Parts: sequence; C-alpha cells; structure tokens
Amino acid sequence: MKLIYTDSLVVGAGLAGLRVAIASKERGLDTLVLSLIPAKRSHSAAAQGGMQASLGNTVKGMGDDEDVHFQDTVKGSDWGCDQDVARMFAHCAPKAVRELANWGVPWSRVSAGPRQVIVNAQKVTLQEAQQAHGLINARDFGGTKKWRTCYTADGTGHSLLYAMDNKAIAMDIPVHERIEALALIHDGKRCHGVIARCLITGELRAYVAKSTTIATGGYGRIYEVSTNAIICEGIGQALALETGVAKLGNMEAVQFHPTAIVPVGILTTEGCRGDGGLLRDKDGYRFMPDYEPDKKELASRDVVSRRMTEHIRKGKGIDSPYGAHLWLDITLLGRKHIETNLREVQEICENFLGIDPAKDWIPVRPTQHYSMGGIRTNATGESPQLKGLFSVGEAACWDMHGFNRLGGNSLAETVVGGMIIGKYVADFCENNSLEIDTQLVEQFMQQVQSEIDVLIEGDGIESAFTLKHEMQRIMMDYVGIFRNGPELDKAVAELKVLLERSRKLGLKCKKRHANPELVEALRVKRMLKVALTVACGAAARTESRGAHAREDFPQRNDRDWLNRTLASWPDPDALEPVLNYEALDVMKMELPPGYRGYGINNAIAHPDTAKREQQITEILAELGDDADRYQRQRAIMPFELPESLQPNNERLSDTLTSPSANALGEKS
Amino acid sequence: MTDVTRVKKKVSSPLSHPWSAKADWLQSATGILLGLFLLLHMHFESSILLGKEAFYQVVQLLEGGIFSSSGHGFPIVTQVFSVFMLLVVMLHAALALRRFPTQLGQWRALRTHMHNIPHRDTHAWFWQLVTGFILFFLIPAHLFTMILNPEIGPHLSAERVYHDNAWLLYALLLPAVVIHAMIGLYRVALKWGLSSRRAALGNVAKILIIYLLCLGAASLITYLFIGSELGTPIQPFVPKQ
Amino acid sequence: MSQGRQLSFNIFRYDPQEPDDKPKMIRYQLTETPGMTVFIALNKLREEQDTSLQFDFVCRAGICGSCAMVINGFPTLACRTLTAKYPKGDITLMPLPGFELIGDLSVNTGKFMRELAERLKLWLHPKANDSDVHRLEDPMDPVEAARLYELERCVECGVCVSACATKQMRDTFVGAVGMMKIARFEMDSRDARTAEDFYHVIGNQDGVFGCMTLLGCQDNCPKDLPHMQQIAYLRRKMAMTLI
Repeated sequence: MKLIYTDSLVVGAGLAGLRVAIASKERGLDTLVLSLIPAKRSHSAAAQGGMQASLGNTVKGMGDDEDVHFQDTVKGSDWGCDQDVARMFAHCAPKAVRELANWGVPWSRVSAGPRQVIVNAQKVTLQEAQQAHGLINARDFGGTKKWRTCYTADGTGHSLLYAMDNKAIAMDIPVHERIEALALIHDGKRCHGVIARCLITGELRAYVAKSTTIATGGYGRIYEVSTNAIICEGIGQALALETGVAKLGNMEAVQFHPTAIVPVGILTTEGCRGDGGLLRDKDGYRFMPDYEPDKKELASRDVVSRRMTEHIRKGKGIDSPYGAHLWLDITLLGRKHIETNLREVQEICENFLGIDPAKDWIPVRPTQHYSMGGIRTNATGESPQLKGLFSVGEAACWDMHGFNRLGGNSLAETVVGGMIIGKYVADFCENNSLEIDTQLVEQFMQQVQSEIDVLIEGDGIESAFTLKHEMQRIMMDYVGIFRNGPELDKAVAELKVLLERSRKLGLKCKKRHANPELVEALRVKRMLKVALTVACGAAARTESRGAHAREDFPQRNDRDWLNRTLASWPDPDALEPVLNYEALDVMKMELPPGYRGYGINNAIAHPDTAKREQQITEILAELGDDADRYQRQRAIMPFELPESLQPNNERLSDTLTSPSANALGEKS
Repeated sequence: MTDVTRVKKKVSSPLSHPWSAKADWLQSATGILLGLFLLLHMHFESSILLGKEAFYQVVQLLEGGIFSSSGHGFPIVTQVFSVFMLLVVMLHAALALRRFPTQLGQWRALRTHMHNIPHRDTHAWFWQLVTGFILFFLIPAHLFTMILNPEIGPHLSAERVYHDNAWLLYALLLPAVVIHAMIGLYRVALKWGLSSRRAALGNVAKILIIYLLCLGAASLITYLFIGSELGTPIQPFVPKQ
Repeated sequence: MSQGRQLSFNIFRYDPQEPDDKPKMIRYQLTETPGMTVFIALNKLREEQDTSLQFDFVCRAGICGSCAMVINGFPTLACRTLTAKYPKGDITLMPLPGFELIGDLSVNTGKFMRELAERLKLWLHPKANDSDVHRLEDPMDPVEAARLYELERCVECGVCVSACATKQMRDTFVGAVGMMKIARFEMDSRDARTAEDFYHVIGNQDGVFGCMTLLGCQDNCPKDLPHMQQIAYLRRKMAMTLI
C-alpha cells in the first residue's frame, strides 16, 4: 500500500485550490496538491470576463465600496446566501486583486482622459481621472450597481490561473498531476485524507493529511449541454456525499448562463453585454428592455436566462437543427474593441461557428453554467460535520452566492475564498496533529480496490457511457431553467433507476492502468448521486428563488423557504439522499429580505423581516450621525476574519480627499 | 562584490556561455557579408552578357586597373581577396557546423519530424543544410582555382569554363550558393528582427533566387559559347582601342 | 438533416505500458454530423468503437491547451478543429511529438511545462517584497499591461515545441514557449530581473542562440502569438547584454 503523508492536502489545482495550497505553504506547512490535469489547464482558466472587487478606480466605479458589493451580492443571491460570508468576501476582494497584481497578473489599467464606451446601445464618452491613470480598471457586469469587474482583456481567469500556478511553482508546491481522488478517508468525525488513483499507471495511493481541502469545481457536466469543462463532473461533491456524514448545500441551485453559443455550449463572456452587447430575437428586435426596462441585458443572470427562455417560448427564437436560439449582437462595439477586449470570443466564433462577431450576430441560448451548491462549509471553509474536511471555490457551498451568483463573483470567490479559507486551513494544520490509523486507511483502500475489481472482473453489463448520456438528458429535460413538480418527480424516479443500473456496470476495456472507460465508470456512479441531490432538492423546494424557478410555485417564499437545503447520503445502498434544512436567521441579517428589483414584487415575507428592519433602524439611530460606515456595519452584523485580512481597503477616493491629493487634483 | 559573484555565475553555469551569443552573431554577420558579396559577384561576373568589352572593363576595375600604368590591374588582388573570402567562408562554415545534426539520432529526428509535420520554413532550412554541405566542398574548390590561377578575363575565364571543364563545378555551385544565400538572408533578417515583413521578404528571396539562377545560367552558357569559339592556345582578350 | 458523409480516421495507437504492444496506425469509420469537431469525433469513437482510446480534453473550447495533436500533418488544438475542414474526409491523428507519450494521442505536456518553469524560473520576481494589499496598488502603464497580456495568452499546449525541428533534434533546447515566457517577464516592469539575469538563463545554445528561426512555432501557434518578433527581440537584447 502506497502511503503519502502531508500536512495540507488539496484536491484540485484550480485557482481556489492553489490559493489554499499557497496559504499553507506560506506558513511552512508541508503542502501537496492533487489534480486530474496539469494545474494550468484547470477550468478556472475559462473565466473570461473578470472578477468583482470594489476598487472604484474607474469613473463608473466611483463611490463603490464593500457595502455596495455586499448588497449586490446578497440581492443577487435572492437572499439565499450567508451574509457573514458575503461580508468577508466583499471585504477581501480588493486585497485579492492587489495581491494578484503583485504576483504578476497584468490587470487592464485605467487610461486617464476620455474613453469611449457603449452604454445602453449608445456611445458614451467617459472622462477618467488623471489620478486613476495606471490603476486597475473595471468593466460593467450584470446585477451590479457599479462598474466593478476587474479584468485582463477577456482572459482574466487564464491570467489569474497562470499567475497563481507560477506562484505555486516558485514556492515549490508539488502538484501531483493526473491523479483522481476516489474516496475520503474518515472515521465519521474527522477526515484524514483521500484514496486516489493515478490515471496513468492505475496505482492506488493513500494521501494522509491533517487537512483535506476539496477544490474540484462544480458539477455542470451532469447536464448534457454545459459551458463547463468536461472534467467538472461533481466528483468532489460526491466524495463528501459518499462519506455519509458530510453534507452538500443548496445542490438545486444551478445557474444557467444567458449567452453560450449554439450548439456546443461554449460560453461567450458576460463582458459582451457588459461592454454594450445586445440580445435580439428572430426579427432582430432588442427584446430585453420590454421585460426588464431598468437593467435590460444587464439584469442578473438567472433573470436574463429566464426572460430569454420566455421569449423563445413565445415563438420569437430562431429555429435551428439544435432547437431555438436568440442572437447576441456585439457588432456595435466595433472591430477594434472586439479584437482587443473580446479576443477569446472572437476566436470561439471563428473556430466553432465560422462567423465574424464584428460583422455577424452570435447564436446563443441559456446553458448550464455554474453550481451555486456544493460541499456545505461554515465560514472558515470547514465542513460542520467532518472535522479536517475543507472546501473552497465552486466545489463548496461556503455560501456567498445563495441561489444565484453574480457574474464576476465566481472568479472572485476562488481567489478571495482561497485567501481567507487558506488561512483557516493553515490554522487547523497548526493546531492539529497528523493521525494515522493504518487500519482505517487500509479499509478505505480496500473499498476502492474492490470497487475497481468488480468493474473489471465482474459480470456487469451496463455501459458507463450510456448511463451518463441518459442522466445528462434527464437533467436537461426536467431539471432545467424552469422546473415543475411532475417533471422533477419524473427526473428523480428516472435517476433512481439509473443509479440502480449503475451497480451493474461492466467494462469492455479490462486494463488496470490508463483506461478511460474505467475512469468513466468510476465517475458516473458518483455523478448519479450528485444528480439526485440536485433533482431531489429541486423537487422538494416548493418556491422560486434565484436560479431555482418553479413554474408551479413562482413566488419567493421567505416564510417557509428562507433556508439552505442540506443533502447527505448516510446509507450507501439508498437510492436517494436524505434532505434536511438549515434556516437562515433573518434576525442576524445585515440586509433583511426585500425586493430584488426584477419583475413583480410578489415574495411571501418572513415574519421576522419587519422586526429586523425595525431593529436595524434602532441600532443605527443609537449610533448617531457621526458613526462611519464601518462602525454602522459592525453594529448591525459583526463578522470575523483572520487578523491579517482585517485592515480597511484604501481607495482612490480616500486619497483624493486627503490634503496631499488636493494638489494633484488642481493639476488635472 | 557583486561583480565577483557574477563572474563566478558565468563560469559555473553550463547553460550560459558568452560564446554562443558571439557565435550566433558572427554566423549571421559572416552570412550577411557572404550573401551580399554573392549578389555583387553574380552581377560583376554576368557583365559578360553585355559583351566581352564590358566584362573586361569590370575585371580591370576590380583588380585595381586605375592604379596600374597599363590599366590592366593586378591579379594578385583576386588572389588576396580569394584568400580572405576563403577565411570568411571557413569561419561561417565552422559556426554553422553547430547547427548540423551531428549524430545519427538527430538526423533521424529531423527526417521524421519533416515527414510528420511538413512545414515550409523548416524545409527551406533543410535545403540550406544540404546546400551548405555541398558548398563546404565546392566553394573551396572554386576559391583554390582562383588563388592558384587568378587570371580573369573574357577569354581566360571562358577557357576555364569550357576547356578546363569548370562549367561542371559552376553548374553545381550556382544553384547551391544561390539557394543557400537567399534563404539565409531571408532568415537572418527575421532572426534579428531587421524586418518583420515575412511574406514580403519571402517573396523577395524567391524572386532573387529565380533571377540569380537565370542570370548565372545565362552567363555560364555565354562562357561556354565563347570557349567553344576560341582556338587553342588561348590568347587573352585585348580590347579594341 | 441529411445523412452525413463517412469520415475515415487514421489514428496512432500505442500503449507503452502494455509489454507486447507496438506503435501502429488504426483506421476507424464514423458518420459526420453537422458542426463536428475532432473532440466530438474522438469521443464518439471511444464510446461506440473502442473504449480504450486515450486522448486529453478539458475545456473543449480552445482555452486550456490540453488537446494539441498532429492532425493531417499540422499540430493544433483538436477541440476546435472542425472535421468539415477536410474535404476528403480523411483525417490522420498523431500524438504531439517531443513529449512523453502516455498512450495513443495522450502526451504529458504538463510535466514538461512544469519542469520548464522550474528550470527557467518562469514566474514574476517582484521588485518590492509583496507590497501592501490593503493600500492602493502601484500604477502600471495601461499600454504595458495590454502588451503583457498579449504574451500571456500562451496556453502551454506544446504545439510550438512539437513544430520546432530544432527542439526535435536537441532535447535540451528550451523551445519557443520558454522564450516567450522569458520575454513576457523581461517586459514586465514589476520584475526585478535584469537583462543579465535573463542572459544566464537563455543566453546560450539551448536558449535564444540555439534557435534557428525555422518559425514552426509561429506558423502553428493556435493563439497566433508573435514568436518571431519576441524571439528576435530577446536575441538582440541578449546579444547587447554581452556587448
């Protein structure tokens, strides 16, 4: 039995995982990262548009701060998020952006003077301040009050991932590539590491660690068409689920991105609309202002996706062999802008559609894009059920996104979450000892070994590929943008049948080393359980919140559903998860549930909402007028952070009002 | 203090060797020199196309005729210049040897690579490699002839070409040197970023190759005709007064 | 939709871990569907005809650089290569040369790139020790930032390495990817290294002075990176360092 020991074990080498690894290594801990693929190939690289951080350097970002970012995030989540976490996040986002600049990210910078942009299909000239020249720029994204999305052209994720991995290489952090974690080693209370398989040699290894951090991304590939990389199959969530102890949060919260190209489902960034792109129907008509007169194309993602689907259902879509779609028009941005700031989009259009986006409209439709749900953690990133198990990034339900994530907040979550949780992981490793129970390790090793033996030597007849396709079709057809009871029940029933069939999987290729069919078989069993948590969670939640839109329950129901779905799988032989719920305490919220600003305000209020609003008014009145925004915030909802991340963020607006900056102001 | 450590670093690191920079630079410089010389050489030598008189004048001019009382120039100029060119060629060849696939494995790797991934500029370089190898033998042969027997003139050169069968040497030398030099000039321009207009450079190189080949072939044929018309023993050409 | 044409795939097959296996080319037939890419085709072949077929895809959108292979003599990203590009319907797939073969079309580019990064120290060496993340960031010339991003677009797919005859002949040669990254950090005003420091890393026969300007890198790069200009720039810079 091959045993490898370390202090801090990280599964997944995307941005979040690497950031945690760096935080561990910074504290002198032995750190090791496992990855299915080379780190720089992780799906983080695909994030094009940018990450949100309230730097407020550009003129359209002036007046932005943590408070505004926090409010946007909470509203965007349709009040489903953990407000403490959203606060921690908003506070640290500017720090993460600046840290990454120190690590080599060539953020796009502000140029002083006039700058022409497109806002609401009109050419507008912005005047950037002299003092802002060379500071980090930001673009507009959906669902935000200010221009807050920091970017490097349209390859932000790529730049960030490369800088992050370079930092990890500089720190000599080993990344074991082409290794797949297949089971968590645990004793029901504490997690001790993972059993993993080398995808080249087929060797099984036990990685034993003080802390195990799962940063494996989302579970988009349980859907047939997804913008996600093909490795985003929810195996990280399945690892936690299969412990029977750890719980997954809000798995039914699945985001559909409005503009993925048809048919392959590759994303065109929200930056297209942020920079001024429009959505058009089969008549070339710009329809979004009819539905959302205020935010138009830049309404929150879930809203735009639903409006597009509604519009297609009205017969306004363009027919294609792959179903109806709509148009994304970025021709009005001009060739120069497209060739510099939207280059990836241009390449994708040329290579996959054979069109020139500076001349032609892009065929798009809403497509599965992001998993708000994941391994439920507390604010420090640790599983409340399994000590030593941490999760971060899209893999986790740290829960800053609730039921809908804002564009630019996912990339931000990876690096900000990684920054914060990395410190807590390091604390954990410093405060806990390595416990090696070889018998326990052997037991889990044996379990995985026999699972593989059965697949290779057993007499199963089911094809992993077939089961996967069927699961993906069910999720597409019945657990999509609009959901309803009968279809969700059907999905659950059919998925259960698939799960049962997955126990009789058989392989044609009998190799024990590099064997793609074996990999597929091991994954599909796990994916089915994840898919069931999504379908069951969606079937049980009889309200509409954020991306979870029930046709039979169109109202947001704070009275009965202001809670987080928790799914666990205590009985390995069961065919469905056990669901229970964690209430969100309105009396502790900084921003009690309210109107999100889209469509009609028909939410069923929570009985505590009015009470809490009253209480907040009183607290603020008590503080008096001279309390600054930090004091006011602390009085309403104090939140914790590692000490080194607590200082306030300096902004250009702070320096502008200081006496020394006045001199500068006169010059301009 | 820092200087000391820097020197140390240079010595201790097997990767960085100041010679590699010098060698690369020198190879390019000698290459440019030889290439430009070839362009001139080809034109001087093809003045025969304008008649014996023209060629005679060019030779006399280049051999320093204006400094001699007879106006006939000094063949030693040719000799000295040939020795100099031979040295330059040797230096260029020695530097270029660094690029040659010296082991069988490297040669095989190159052939396999060119077969699996056909690529125009790599093929062009391959032809440079082949022609370079040929030139390694032919240029010294040409230059030794000029050193040992430096007399140049419409009749004397024709004698060499026709009666001494040097046309065989020139028929091989001409395409080899033209191809090698023009591709070389194209590559050296890109290599150091003297120009980044690659397509234009490529076209110029192509046109020059065709042009020089025609020019050279025409002169060679002219010499063959002149040679065939001459009776032995050869009398040097004397211009009409 | 009308019935698609028949595609004929000629695929390199070899499992180096199988003791008796020998490299061979095997032919597969597949019906083309509209918009089919080599990514779609290979997955279909694996699912329907041979489940042991090895290849690497991750993003399938031309972003991650996992899937480079030699398609009809051109090293390129398979995920964004449309089968419609080949009028004869004959498609030959070979693994990327110059890398450790894992099996069939799968090669270990990740290991290569990590080793290269360690050897050439391909990360930012900041001038100041991490400046304060709570304070306003240091300004950077917007033009410089844009220029750096242009060079950052490399996806480490390995195409430039496989398309370089020099690299194929001399294993120790750093190849275009290494030089492009050095050029990127050399241009970065935040990097503390001097031209002399870079000279020690690539001012040699295995580095910029070993490059013969064959330009296989530039001609095949799926991201159209300006290898020619950048390597020429480095060569001038390094040669000047010496003088």
